[in-house]
Amino acid sequence: MTLGTGAPTTARNPQPLPPRVTPADDVSPCRARADFTGYLFLAPYLLLFGVFLLLPLVYGLWLSFMQYEMLSPDPPTFIGLANYREAFADQRFWTALWATLRFVGMTSPLTILLALALALAISTIPDRRQHVYRLMVFLPMMITITVAGLVWRWLYNTEFGLLNAILDNFGFKAPWLTDRDWAMPSIVLMTLWWTVGGPLVILLAGIRQIPDAYYEAGALDGATGWRGTIYITLPMLKPVLLLAVVLNVIGAFQVFGQPFIMTQGGPERSTLVLMMYIYETSFNNYRLGYGAAMSWLLFLLIAAFSVIQFRLMREK
Amino acid sequence: MASAEPTSTAEESIPRRAFLAAAVGAASSLALPGCDRDGASGGGVTLRFWNMFSGPDGRTMLGLVRKFNAQHPDVNVVMQRMHWSTYYNKLFVAGLGGRAPEVFITHRYALRRFVGAGFVRKADDLFGPRADQLDPSDFDPNILNAMQQGGTYWGVPLDVHPLGMYYNRTLLKSVGFVDNSGAAKPPTTRGEFLDVLHRLKPKPGASSRDTTWGFVYTWQRTNLYAILRQFGGQLFNSTLTRATFAAPQNVQALAWGSDLVRQGLVPGPQSADSWVMFMQGHVGIAFEGIYVLPDVRKQAGLDWGAAPLPLLGSQRATWGESHSLVMRNDLDGRQLDAAKRFIKFLSDNSLDWAEGGQVPVRQSLRDTDRFRAMYAQNQFAKQIPYVAYLPPAPYVFEYLRAFDDAIELALRGTKSAQAALQAADQIVQPVIDRYARQDLWRDVMGGAQ
Repeated sequence: MTLGTGAPTTARNPQPLPPRVTPADDVSPCRARADFTGYLFLAPYLLLFGVFLLLPLVYGLWLSFMQYEMLSPDPPTFIGLANYREAFADQRFWTALWATLRFVGMTSPLTILLALALALAISTIPDRRQHVYRLMVFLPMMITITVAGLVWRWLYNTEFGLLNAILDNFGFKAPWLTDRDWAMPSIVLMTLWWTVGGPLVILLAGIRQIPDAYYEAGALDGATGWRGTIYITLPMLKPVLLLAVVLNVIGAFQVFGQPFIMTQGGPERSTLVLMMYIYETSFNNYRLGYGAAMSWLLFLLIAAFSVIQFRLMREK
Repeated sequence: MASAEPTSTAEESIPRRAFLAAAVGAASSLALPGCDRDGASGGGVTLRFWNMFSGPDGRTMLGLVRKFNAQHPDVNVVMQRMHWSTYYNKLFVAGLGGRAPEVFITHRYALRRFVGAGFVRKADDLFGPRADQLDPSDFDPNILNAMQQGGTYWGVPLDVHPLGMYYNRTLLKSVGFVDNSGAAKPPTTRGEFLDVLHRLKPKPGASSRDTTWGFVYTWQRTNLYAILRQFGGQLFNSTLTRATFAAPQNVQALAWGSDLVRQGLVPGPQSADSWVMFMQGHVGIAFEGIYVLPDVRKQAGLDWGAAPLPLLGSQRATWGESHSLVMRNDLDGRQLDAAKRFIKFLSDNSLDWAEGGQVPVRQSLRDTDRFRAMYAQNQFAKQIPYVAYLPPAPYVFEYLRAFDDAIELALRGTKSAQAALQAADQIVQPVIDRYARQDLWRDVMGGAQ
């Protein structure tokens, strides 16, 4: 048996279709009113999108070509690509970018894999008991990063942290946040706990959308157990998985709260991610032009990664 | 896997009005805790007073504000406390946007940045012989002079909080570091300091619970800056136009401090939460500010003492800072009068402030029995004549980051002291040049340290 495209094939007793009306044909007052109502519904979002996203984005692009020092009494002056050139020559920019890439490289695959494993496991549990597990995994996401970061900073404390109190019984103490080799993995571990609920919920919803008929058909061909997962669930889940991966990678590139709260970018700047460096440049040193240029570089990087991910997943 | 479970409509039945009302209520309650509104309302002058006293010191200051409001019914001081880590960002942005509070606190190291930005009022007329003025001769000269720039006072120092030495009497006694009477003796020289470090060096094979150390670096910036100044070091030339991080005295000081770690006499930054270890009784000596006093007092089972820093280099010096009371530059009329009265009130009552872990900077207040009864403050006050402030360069936040990085790299052994300080020079000098090139605060650059 071969699997179809998954498109619904339930049309029985087909009825004669009404005459097709294109939007161009329909110029009645009712249609215009309907359009207007539609735009009214859209208006609040469009307003917020325009004022808080589009406008700052364009303003940020303009700023990135300016020398804008908030400390200076002089007005912003156009300096072309100088801010971008400065970023490429700035060792700290590259250090921060490397820290960001390390975070993304560790966090995103682990989060997606863990979320997928948990989603597959939870989906095998009867529906009435799934809520409990979903809640357990999703609950940390409802905690603000400030609270979560502070709690984990205490857990990781070298002297009185819970984790080292346990390890101390085995004669060992881990420098969770105080050693440059440990700090980033420790932040990644905390991030896993904090964020895995997001992709989990998306993936669970995706799994629930896969019609039972496929599994029933697959079972006849012997695709049960892990074979069902590999040959039916994962292929059918691909669009949802792509969404989860892209969202996760975008979020990971913008990491700020965890290192800001837990390490302040240390030790030895090993966790000073790009968003933190942009923040430091813009709001500690008040160099808005240079900060905007680095923000745009990060934006382009995220866009490039997202496009690549979409392409790769679609091709396969 | 697809569920036949019917779609729940429970969400649709949420009473929206009740939810919105609760949300608005919650938002209002969240917005208010930052403000402490006290005193008179209506008719009087309102002064906004911002500070970074978010700990127990905030409660002490709030008590003073309440007292002032009660004594001055025509003035209503509204105090807003913020965490110090974001305080300067908020204050600066507010100031640049023309919304700075009428009165605010800055550390001395940041004062010049605010003066340069143009929203600080000159404070010269707060000092003088009249009863409503402050007597400049009552202040420690070096502390008051630190508020000057270009012959003008820009703020009134509320206090000084120097770095000092806290020591664990029990541990020092346990290794026989005592005076003739058998009491624990704080080290006063480099030799004695190193002696304590050797005596309390961790024993091989000791479990982490039994590990002791003679000394730990707490706040690396203040600890090393004090040592660096004791070795005769300076971070900049006298006009603040050239970074001198890699000057021989600085290199020598940082190398000496790092070698203590290499020799196993002091734990590296990666190995310990140093201040906690001191509080837990595992450390003989720690250098910390007077402001940690409330925590030390609360620590049960810790028999502690306080003393000036030992002489580790060639000259006496310790890191210190002052909270400065500053006015917005456009105050006039009743607001200006109220702000002056408020600042004088806080200065006159700075003994109350000192109780919470500060040292008053007025000799008349320190000459009282009440101050003499403050043990730790008295010990730390001995260091006032040689308090070393961080250079108040307009690019202060940029250079502090580079300084912190250099110290950390050296203490961790990632770079030698020489290489770490040279790297800091290479980071900071372009910043100075940029400030000079762009005429950023041309009047501020070039002031003496």
